[in-house]
Amino acid sequence: MVSPVYELQSLEHAYGDRAVLSIAHLTVQPASIVGLIGPNGGGKSTLLKLMGLIERPTRGKILFNGRPVEPFSDVARFQISLLPQEPFLMKRSVFKNVSYGLKLRGAKDIAVKVSEALLRVGLDGKDFSGRPWYALSGGEAQRVALAARLVLKPKVLLLDEPTASVDVASAHLIRQAALWARRELDTTLIVASHDWPWLYEVCDSILHLYNGRIFGTGRETIIFGPWEKLDGQTWGKTLSDGQRLRVPPPPGRAAAAVIDLTSVGDNERMGAEADVVLSGIVSRLSFEKKTGQVFAALLAGDLSFSIKLPHRQNESPAFFPGKTVRFRYRLDQVRWI
Amino acid sequence: MNFLVEGFFQAFRLLVSGNSETYAAIAVTLKVSGYSIGCSLLIGIPFGFCLGYFDFSGKKTIRMLVDTLMALPTVFIGLLVYAFLTHRGPLGNFGLLFTLPGIAIGQTILALPIVVALSATAVENMDPKLRCAIMSMGASRRQLFLSSLWECRHGILAGALAAYGRVMTEVGISMMVGGNIKWHTRTITTAIALETNKGKFGMGVALGLVLMIIALGVNVSVSFFRRRN
Repeated sequence: MVSPVYELQSLEHAYGDRAVLSIAHLTVQPASIVGLIGPNGGGKSTLLKLMGLIERPTRGKILFNGRPVEPFSDVARFQISLLPQEPFLMKRSVFKNVSYGLKLRGAKDIAVKVSEALLRVGLDGKDFSGRPWYALSGGEAQRVALAARLVLKPKVLLLDEPTASVDVASAHLIRQAALWARRELDTTLIVASHDWPWLYEVCDSILHLYNGRIFGTGRETIIFGPWEKLDGQTWGKTLSDGQRLRVPPPPGRAAAAVIDLTSVGDNERMGAEADVVLSGIVSRLSFEKKTGQVFAALLAGDLSFSIKLPHRQNESPAFFPGKTVRFRYRLDQVRWI
Repeated sequence: MNFLVEGFFQAFRLLVSGNSETYAAIAVTLKVSGYSIGCSLLIGIPFGFCLGYFDFSGKKTIRMLVDTLMALPTVFIGLLVYAFLTHRGPLGNFGLLFTLPGIAIGQTILALPIVVALSATAVENMDPKLRCAIMSMGASRRQLFLSSLWECRHGILAGALAAYGRVMTEVGISMMVGGNIKWHTRTITTAIALETNKGKFGMGVALGLVLMIIALGVNVSVSFFRRRN
């Protein structure tokens, strides 16, 4: 069995008194693509900073290729590179920004390598090398920042929302360049992104970070509070289209509920007393490469629900985005986090 | 107002004719200010960097102290340094009173808080994302320090210029610690004070203009350096 490139043991991180991350155990296999999803403030960027050895965890250990590492560790600092969420370029020309890491490594043929890396992200070295840092658009700056990482041929590339603030063309080039690193350099990619369809398409595994903890794969439906008493008896909330979402009594008014849908179809009928049936619209179908499954996102009022489709349904031409369907979940299977 | 015009022409004459007394004062000024600014940059930049970069208990107190020391009167520094260097003082054995190194010590004390405070400000104003960007390229601690320093070079340079200006133009320390000895410790500013006391306004204005020309030369050089980078 291949030994993991990363192993995180009892990792905890806090900013002051506020705990932001707690991961009991996590391994990442070499040359894999791992996606990180979750709401803002869920701990994705913190996890990437810890794995990128930018910050030291408050507690716990990070093993890289089996050896404990921390910021500035010689065994890892030339092998891991992090592309932060907001592109940051040093006050130098594009060439000097891209060649910076190569110079730290005492590399040769720097001009050729820089030119190749810029081309990889869709920038012409002749046009861009001499440009100062301030003469770039947001998308170009992000691509230059990515080129500065790719040129180092890292063993691990950590990407924090790489396409969050760029145009469609730049996002496409960034995704292609990242996948090139995985394909040609066997680079392990760990990507935090809100671009779920892309992550589900390319990732070998997906981690859902919620409140600093790994929680499932992101396919779960999480509905946030506040909750109120409906009819003075049952708990739940009234959706914007008038339907009522019922839940068991919550541990707190602001608690988040995890709802696993049990079935979806044209003619779902109320069954047992514990069943709740809602009506919604299929808003998106997405394909998960690893499992070959198709998932549907269903919109009921202003809430989005997710369900894995059985093969008979995803093969049916009658199941398409825009179609109104009814779906069901069981009250006694609602979990609170 | 004629003495101002006269001073201008006299400054030109003094410089062109190679007046030895004027050039001796210029040489002393450049030498002693060079020593003091060199020492204050060497000590002040790393100290200012640490003060601006790291968070530690007592940081605010130190920062307030450094800011306060920026306003130290030159005659007070002169008095303190004199007290230490005089034969009866604790450093009297070194024989530094009325010497250029003696003046340089005083001027270093004058420049140091300026360099420290303005370097710390430059570092504090540094984009916090810079650290992450540099570390993510694989920099060591030393490389992180040097690269961060380079990124805030303009702010540090502004601090160095302000300190150099203060050192070049001070009178109190040079007069009290140097003694204004002709050919030996007489700087441009002490010479101006002397000539004005003697009623030679033109000569005073001339030396003042020389000082301005030196300041202009330094600023032009720095500006050239900035454009190149």
